[in-house]
Amino acid sequence: MPETKTSPKYDLPEVYIDDILMSLKYFTDEHEAHIKIIDPQVCIRCIVKPCVEFCPVGAYRTQDGGSVQVAFQSCVECGTCRVMCSFSNVSWKLPRGGFGVSYKFG
Amino acid sequence: MIKNEKLSFDVIVIGAGLSGSAAAAIAARSGLKVALIERGQTPGSKNYFGGTLYPHSLLEIYPDLWDRNPPLERPVTEAGFWFLSKDGLVRATVQGGKLNNKTIDAYVALRAKFDVWWAEQAQKEGALIIPKTVVVDFIRENGKIVGVLTDRPQGEVYAPVVIICEGVNNLLTQKLGLIKHDLRPASAALAVKQLIALPSITINTRFGLTDNDHGLAASVLGDVSMGLPGLGFIYTGVDCVSIGMGVTLDSLTKAHVKPYELLQRYLDHPQIAPLIAGGRLMEYGAHIIPEGGWKDMPQLYTDGALVVGDAASMVNALHWEGTNMAILAGKAAAETAIEAHKKGDFSSKSLSSYRTRLDERFIMGDLHQYRNLSFFLRTHPEFMDVYPAFINEALGMFFSGFGQPKKQLYKDIMRSLTYRRPLLKAMGDIVAFGRAIIGV
Repeated sequence: MPETKTSPKYDLPEVYIDDILMSLKYFTDEHEAHIKIIDPQVCIRCIVKPCVEFCPVGAYRTQDGGSVQVAFQSCVECGTCRVMCSFSNVSWKLPRGGFGVSYKFG
Repeated sequence: MIKNEKLSFDVIVIGAGLSGSAAAAIAARSGLKVALIERGQTPGSKNYFGGTLYPHSLLEIYPDLWDRNPPLERPVTEAGFWFLSKDGLVRATVQGGKLNNKTIDAYVALRAKFDVWWAEQAQKEGALIIPKTVVVDFIRENGKIVGVLTDRPQGEVYAPVVIICEGVNNLLTQKLGLIKHDLRPASAALAVKQLIALPSITINTRFGLTDNDHGLAASVLGDVSMGLPGLGFIYTGVDCVSIGMGVTLDSLTKAHVKPYELLQRYLDHPQIAPLIAGGRLMEYGAHIIPEGGWKDMPQLYTDGALVVGDAASMVNALHWEGTNMAILAGKAAAETAIEAHKKGDFSSKSLSSYRTRLDERFIMGDLHQYRNLSFFLRTHPEFMDVYPAFINEALGMFFSGFGQPKKQLYKDIMRSLTYRRPLLKAMGDIVAFGRAIIGV
């Protein structure tokens, strides 16, 4: 199974994104996921899996077996995954009215 | 209201951000019936920026702005560039002079707070805010837009003209075919930011600000983005510091870095860390900035619809402008809608006066002038690493070589440039930068 590639060129501090996301407020839509992976097989075949790295809230994570899972609950609706998935394998729409991230300060 | 009666307005505005609430206010003030549709819990809850707001644009919507107590943070009394090397910092900022705090040109603000208030002002003018509602499509009759379909049950809302202020993810604009592609990875930047709480007195001491009526806004270049085409920023609020960075989507992806780790590296920089030490993370966030400007602009109008603000790529990254263009374009769109109502003509031809209004302001001219800048920065990463590092080293040598022959000093300084970048190339860079700014 191909590992997600991290460039050894950069020496970056390790960040526990889940701790940082504690600062955010969400209204989670329990009935509908606004972002979805269209075809899980495509992610398994995708070697680079850039989403695992570029997503600013780390919502995309590699699973055993090389599939990718997306935690739509932590999404801040930036749009990067829609634009940058190499295989256009992300179905992206806005959360239903009132749901999703709710910035307190902005 | 009678059941099944059409929910009809004179104008629908999609998105209660800076441009949307400005457009709604101007249209409502003229007596039009305005629906201002917002997808968030409250206006501003989806919005995240650096950042600064500019009174010149706010005052155009509300000449009595200061009587309305806008929720702004600090006035910007010091502004400029910070150049980071691996462990050093050169600050090129201006204070006093044109930035003295009697004539404030910019204020630091927090959008979730400001946008709520901004929308309330539009409400006072008579606009109806419809929150927690997503516009999913347009309603057409005989090919013309006559309203929008929302995600609410029986969610049709009708109006002969729709002002689209949907923000950077301009899916509705794309749906109308006003732009043929999604955001471009080379010119859209992902910005990540931490808002850090610190007592105002600590901020004043660490940033050298006289009191809470003094504030700093700085673009940070150099080690911040590890040579990726990107900029850091730092803004002081009253008791918080906004600190973050933006990097274009393609370079971020190519470099295989996690944006929050890149941000953490910046926050850990030996010159930055002491400024925010002991601060508490109030909020983290991420948002795309449409830095392509002119080159990524959609067609701005069509039969029954106008596009405004980030949705129309109205951003000048070098000058931190975007919020002011959004507000003034919102006003221009509303004036166009008012005129269209007077004529009873909502055709593309009738709405084309929106473009004329933007041409008459600085908006189209500036965006056109800077049309090559985002491409320039992408192809000249030297401005993100070589030159900031050189500036640090050159000044460092100048102010540390005491007791040494000065001829050697200047040789060393010159060498510190040329080993990074051959002299002819450096001169070429300066000319190219000039051209990118002047727009020739």
